[in-house]
Amino acid sequence: MGIRMDEYDSLSIRANIHVHSGAPMKTIKKRVEDELAAGNIRSNRECPYHPSHFKGQNCTFCYCPFYPCEDERNGHYIRGTKIGDIWSCEDCLFIHRDRTVEYALPRILEKGIAPGDHEGMMEVFRESMDACWKRGKAVMVVGATSDAGKSMTVAALGRILLRRGYLCAPFKSQNMSLNSRVTAKGEEIAMVQMLQAQAMGLTIPNYHMNPILLKPKGNTVSQVVVEGKPFGDYDVPSYYNDFVPGPGREIVRRNIDFLKDHYDFILMEGAGSPAEINIYDKDIANMRAAEIADADCILVVNVEWGGSFAYAIGTVELMPPEDRKRIKGIILNNVRGDPSRMKDGADELSKRCGIPVIGIIPHAEVELPQEDSEAFRGVKERGNGALRIAVIKLPRIANFTDLDPLYTEDTTVVFADCPSDVLTADAVIIPGTKNTIDDYEWLIATGIADAIKCVRGKIPILGICGGYQMMGAELLDPKGIEGREKGCYEGLGLFNDVAYWDKYDKRVIRDRAELIDGGGEVEGYEIHMGLSVVKEKPLFRITSHGRTDETEGSVREDEMLYGTYLHGVLDKPAFRKKFLSLIKPRGEKPVAKTESVDYDEVVDHNLDLLADAFESGLDMDAFLSIMGVKE
Amino acid sequence: MKSLLFLGTSSGAGKTTLDAAFCRYLARSGKKVAPFKGSNLSLNSYVTLGGEEIGMGQAFQAWACGIEPTGDMNPVLLKPAGSGRMQIILRGKPHMDIVRDQPWDRDAVMEKACESYDRLMEQYDAVICEGSGSPAELNLMSTDMANVGLMKARRVNSILVGDIERGGVFAAIYGTWLLIPDDLKPLMKGFVINRFRGDASILGSGIERIEKLTGMRCYGIVPYETLKFPEEDSLSQTGGNIGSGDLHEEFVRNLDTLIDNAIAAGVDFEGIAKLLEE
Repeated sequence: MGIRMDEYDSLSIRANIHVHSGAPMKTIKKRVEDELAAGNIRSNRECPYHPSHFKGQNCTFCYCPFYPCEDERNGHYIRGTKIGDIWSCEDCLFIHRDRTVEYALPRILEKGIAPGDHEGMMEVFRESMDACWKRGKAVMVVGATSDAGKSMTVAALGRILLRRGYLCAPFKSQNMSLNSRVTAKGEEIAMVQMLQAQAMGLTIPNYHMNPILLKPKGNTVSQVVVEGKPFGDYDVPSYYNDFVPGPGREIVRRNIDFLKDHYDFILMEGAGSPAEINIYDKDIANMRAAEIADADCILVVNVEWGGSFAYAIGTVELMPPEDRKRIKGIILNNVRGDPSRMKDGADELSKRCGIPVIGIIPHAEVELPQEDSEAFRGVKERGNGALRIAVIKLPRIANFTDLDPLYTEDTTVVFADCPSDVLTADAVIIPGTKNTIDDYEWLIATGIADAIKCVRGKIPILGICGGYQMMGAELLDPKGIEGREKGCYEGLGLFNDVAYWDKYDKRVIRDRAELIDGGGEVEGYEIHMGLSVVKEKPLFRITSHGRTDETEGSVREDEMLYGTYLHGVLDKPAFRKKFLSLIKPRGEKPVAKTESVDYDEVVDHNLDLLADAFESGLDMDAFLSIMGVKE
Repeated sequence: MKSLLFLGTSSGAGKTTLDAAFCRYLARSGKKVAPFKGSNLSLNSYVTLGGEEIGMGQAFQAWACGIEPTGDMNPVLLKPAGSGRMQIILRGKPHMDIVRDQPWDRDAVMEKACESYDRLMEQYDAVICEGSGSPAELNLMSTDMANVGLMKARRVNSILVGDIERGGVFAAIYGTWLLIPDDLKPLMKGFVINRFRGDASILGSGIERIEKLTGMRCYGIVPYETLKFPEEDSLSQTGGNIGSGDLHEEFVRNLDTLIDNAIAAGVDFEGIAKLLEE
């Protein structure tokens, strides 16, 4: 993602939030007139802020000539601030669409609207809205099972539509995942919606795309994150009986409405199966969300395990008629071997349930971040490179996509669940967890804690977030905020740092930082309950705007010990390279690759490959007709 | 009908294990019981004392019955050999190699398979059969041997195993039943839900609806087990090989644990056994 988030923040304030009247308005008008006079139209790719909203945005109007348009489809007033009411349109993309610029620009020029003639501008604005603004259409991808490939289908369809010039937003009303990311404004949403937004060319995803995030804490209790902020802890019955009928539906409605105002298409994703008839009316992740959004649906079935025709017809037939008629197409996903062998079965299925099969998608061998840790259940190792990296398989492992960049290197990642995995490794990574205390107890009980102490100083060790907390001297949870019970524990003692939990509070922030001893930059985000008293040399210096005095993490170079709260610390090559280069070659083992890539670029390339696989198996006419467009 | 067929809503639904558990349950109650799988697609094979090659799953099921495996228990074994080639093992001996789309005399092979089934029916009090993959593959149903093939040929009563772990289990069970040819639907006697975690009472309304829609009876909800069982088919991801020690004994001990836990969770093995007396 090309733009620095801190820069974006200041940009968004400059470009999109201005005091209702007075001096700043004149400046904007002047700026627009200067740009127009200089002929600066279309995307200004040299601009350090480009693209500030989405790939291919039109930057003719860097500043909106219609500000403040006071049209609630585009923005809203923030009332009663110190400097008066402020019109905020920071989420508005209207002025950056080609069709808007192509319509409005000639009219502004023809009419020769004079500086300060807001009424004149508003006339053009109203005409432009009538001609160019259209409320977005929502289409939902539901799956016959978990792991049907819903998330990747949404990502692929989004990329396919992006290639055709459409602006899409992902949406999943309720996502249960321990894999979350932080938006530019410090809101927590599921990793997958961020990935889908990337597939759709969006550079600044927002919480509307995943307004409800459930983070399982164990014992059937989940932390419920609403619109990016912690809302409360719920167990299964209280979630379905209190939260869903209470605030749940309204949260879904307002966020869908928001996205419809700003995007051409909302590609929604269901959760699990939409035909769980025992909780059907309480399920706001599937057909109830489709109803709220008035969305047509596409059903995706993974054929890999067999039984796909039965899953498909059973899913459709168990729905009440009013929901069933929303299902406009079926995609048979993940077909290995010759897709044509599915053809006869697909035709028969279409005939039996009256819904066309619009795609038979070949299995795509594409490395993309995985949604939940269940994805590697039963998997012991990944990759077959020379460097064996033991990643401790904590029971509540979180944000394990931190590890994905390792797969671009000459590594074998071993999901370590016993001491010998650690003792035979070339490096150890202790990843993040939803529950540091409980997982630390597991670490001791399995003997892995002792194994880690054993390899201290011999091989590099990296702790991320919860793993970093465990590396310290003490874990203090006197109120029982993190653990099941109140308690204070001795940590691994690799650092002298102390982790503590003294209030129910979560630090959620994006960081940009550089290695304190030089060697390059990293980008990442922090999501943690609990804080650390750092008594070691810090690993990073924060370079985010306005936070230049801050440092982050801990390091003991002589013992090859590294600890950080930064998720995504391995994404940029700088730190990843440094960490892997510490591994001493054993015998014939080669050292780490010298050329490392930016993982973000790898992901973007792989999203293209995924979209290619879908395009090859999708009946494009049928798909586009479901989207309501003709080519 | 002294035989019963365990069908699955997908590969890896737990047919092999539940079939073995039911075999063991019958053997524990003193029945002379044998396993049978009409045809098996697997590279994991076992050689019987008679030198016949059969699927590993049937070997383990035989041990669950307390008997020695024989070639009749898995008369057709299909071994993929890569690049579209497949070896057909018939009654334990290599029969022929075929390449993709090559026609072969399925009827003759099916007849041999039925002969094996008939022999077991003569020799034992009960024959517990296992299906293969899903019985509702619209593109394969006409050539199926282990699922609707056997149901058609020998009118065997069937129990459908649905895996709840990935979700969509009600859809899977109902959809499978819908796609079973109408003349065979009366043989679909019941279903079990496998690999459940949590409080089973939340499934109640869904189960009732499926029972009403299909006329099948729910014989229980099998709790999730992390027991180590042999994996028959390379697609299964439930993990685990049997550890050290006597393989057969450990396997049978694991089955005993599974049966005890399942009975404690309300799985009606006795009811399933009654189907053998119908």
